[in-house]
Amino acid sequence: MTSRGPHDLGKTIINAGALLLVLSYALPYVYLVSTALKPAADVQQIPPSFFPNRVTLENFATVVTTAGLPQAFLNSAVVAVLTTLLSLLIAVPAAYVSALYRRRLTVLFLLFALVTRMVPAVSLGVPLFQIMKTLGLLDTTLGLVLAHTSAAVPLALLLMSAFFESIPKELEEAARMDGCTRFGAFLHIVLPLMPSGLAITALFSFIASWNEFLFALLLTSQNGKTAPIVIAEFNSVYGLAWGPMTAAAVLYSLPVILVTLILQKQIVGGLTFGAVKG
Amino acid sequence: MGERRFVLLMLMPAALFLGFLVSYPVALLVYNSFFEVSLIDPSSRVWVGLANYVDALTSKRILESALRTLKYSAFALFFELLFGLGAALLFAAIAKRSQWHRTIFALPLMISPIVAGLLWRFLLVGNIGILNYGLAALGVIPDPGAIKWLSDTDIVIYSVAAADIWLTTSFVALVSYAGLTNIPQDVLEAARIDGTNAVTRFWYVTLPMLRPVLAVVVVVRGIDALKTFDLIWIQTQGGPRQASEVLSMNIYQRMVRYGDLGQASATATLFLVFMIGLAGLAYWKVWRTGND
Repeated sequence: MTSRGPHDLGKTIINAGALLLVLSYALPYVYLVSTALKPAADVQQIPPSFFPNRVTLENFATVVTTAGLPQAFLNSAVVAVLTTLLSLLIAVPAAYVSALYRRRLTVLFLLFALVTRMVPAVSLGVPLFQIMKTLGLLDTTLGLVLAHTSAAVPLALLLMSAFFESIPKELEEAARMDGCTRFGAFLHIVLPLMPSGLAITALFSFIASWNEFLFALLLTSQNGKTAPIVIAEFNSVYGLAWGPMTAAAVLYSLPVILVTLILQKQIVGGLTFGAVKG
Repeated sequence: MGERRFVLLMLMPAALFLGFLVSYPVALLVYNSFFEVSLIDPSSRVWVGLANYVDALTSKRILESALRTLKYSAFALFFELLFGLGAALLFAAIAKRSQWHRTIFALPLMISPIVAGLLWRFLLVGNIGILNYGLAALGVIPDPGAIKWLSDTDIVIYSVAAADIWLTTSFVALVSYAGLTNIPQDVLEAARIDGTNAVTRFWYVTLPMLRPVLAVVVVVRGIDALKTFDLIWIQTQGGPRQASEVLSMNIYQRMVRYGDLGQASATATLFLVFMIGLAGLAYWKVWRTGND
C-alpha cells in the first residue's frame, strides 16, 4: 500500500498501451465503415479524410440496386445454409462413433479428416472443376454446396468429436440397458445433450462457406456467383468503385462481426480448443 | 445391431462423401498430372509421363512463386506472433479488466479474407491510400507518394501480408492469452520471490510454458499462410508483373488463364505433397514435444 505511486504509474502505462493497441487494431475496420458512409464522390478525394463530411447511405443504395449483388448475397446465404445442414448430417454420426467407439478404424478416419484439412484448396479445386463440369454442376448452387461441404465435413468432424468426447460412454450404455438401440441412444439420448456443440459446429461451417472464395471463383460464372465474387468484381467492371465496394464489404462482413460479438466466448473456445489443450 | 456394423454404418456417409469429393479429386489431380490435357477438352489427352513435373521443377515462374509463398508466410507469421504475443501479454497484465480489449480483438476473427484484403488495399492503394497520408503527417515519410506499397515489385509481397497480419493477429493473441492464463500463478510467484525481473521471468518461465501453444499456433497459421489465395488475389491479382503471385495463384492462373490442366495438376500435386509432408513433420514434432 505504501508504494502505490510508482505501481500506479506502471499500471497506467500498461492500460494506456493496451487501449492504444486495441484502438489502432480497430481503426482499419472503422475506416471501412466510415468510407462506406461517405457520399460516393468524396470516397476518392485527395487527400482522404478519415470521417465522412456528410453521412449518407448512397453507397448502400447503389449496392442493393446493383444488378447481381442482391442475388449474390442470396446465393451466399443459400449455399452456406445447405452446406451447414449437409455437413452436420454427414459429420455428426461419424464424429459420434469416433468419440464413443474409439477403435483403430475411427482413429484412422479422424487422421484422414485431419490430413484433408492440409490439402490446399487449389489442389482440390482444379479436379473439382472437371468433375462438376462432367456432372453438369458448374455454376449451380448444388455444385458449390458439394465443394464447400468437402471442406466443411473434416472441420465439423473434428469439432464434433471433441464435443462428443465430453460424454461418458456409460451414458450410452445405460440408455441401451433401458432398451434403446445404439442408434436410438445416439439420436434420442446423446444428441439432445449437445445443443451448444452443434450450434458452434454449425456456425463454423456456415461462416467457412459464407467466407469461401476460391471454389466459388472456379465453379461459378453467372447465376451461381456468391457475394465475395461479385464484390471482387467491382474491381474490373466498375473501374475502382471504392464507395459501393466498401459498402458491399460492410454488408458482407457486419453480420459475421455481430455474430462474433454475441458468441465471442464460444467462438474463441472453438478456435482454440486443440491449441490450448495440446 | 452389432457394434462393428453400427460403427461402419455411422462412418459410411462421411466416408463415401469424402471419398467422392476429396479422395477421388485428388486421384484425378494426380492422374491428370501425367497428361498433356487442356481445360476446355479434358477428354482428349496425351500421356507425357513426368514431363509436367520436369517442367514445373524447372520453371522459373513456378519456383519464384514457391519461394515467394515461403517469404510471404514467414513474414506474416513472424509479425502475427510478435503482435499477437505482445497483445496477449498486455491483456494478461491488466488481467480481468482486459475483457473489452479482448472483445474488440475478437471481432476480426471470422471476417472473410476478401474483406481484409479489400480493406488493406484501400488503406495502401496509391493516391487515396490513407496510410501514407498518416505516415507523412507524422513525418515518417516525406510525402504520401513516397512508398508505393502495392505497385513496387520489391515490396509488394510484404505489403499484401499486412492484411493477413491484421486479420490473424487476433487469433494468435487470443490463443496465447488462453495459454497464458493456464500457466500456474504460483510458478511465476516463486520466480518473483527468487528476485528475477520481468524479462527473465518471461524468457525462462512464461515462454517455455507457452511453447506447446505457440507450436500449435505456428503449425495452424503457417499452413493457412502457405495456402493463401483470396487475400492476395483481391489486393493485386498477383501483380504487378507476378511480383505477388504465390503458388496457389500460379496454379489457378495456369489452369484458368492458360487452360493447361496437366501442368496445373502437376504443380498442385507437388504443392499437396509438400503441405502434407510439412504438416506430418510439424504434428510429429508438436506431438513429440507435447509428450516429453
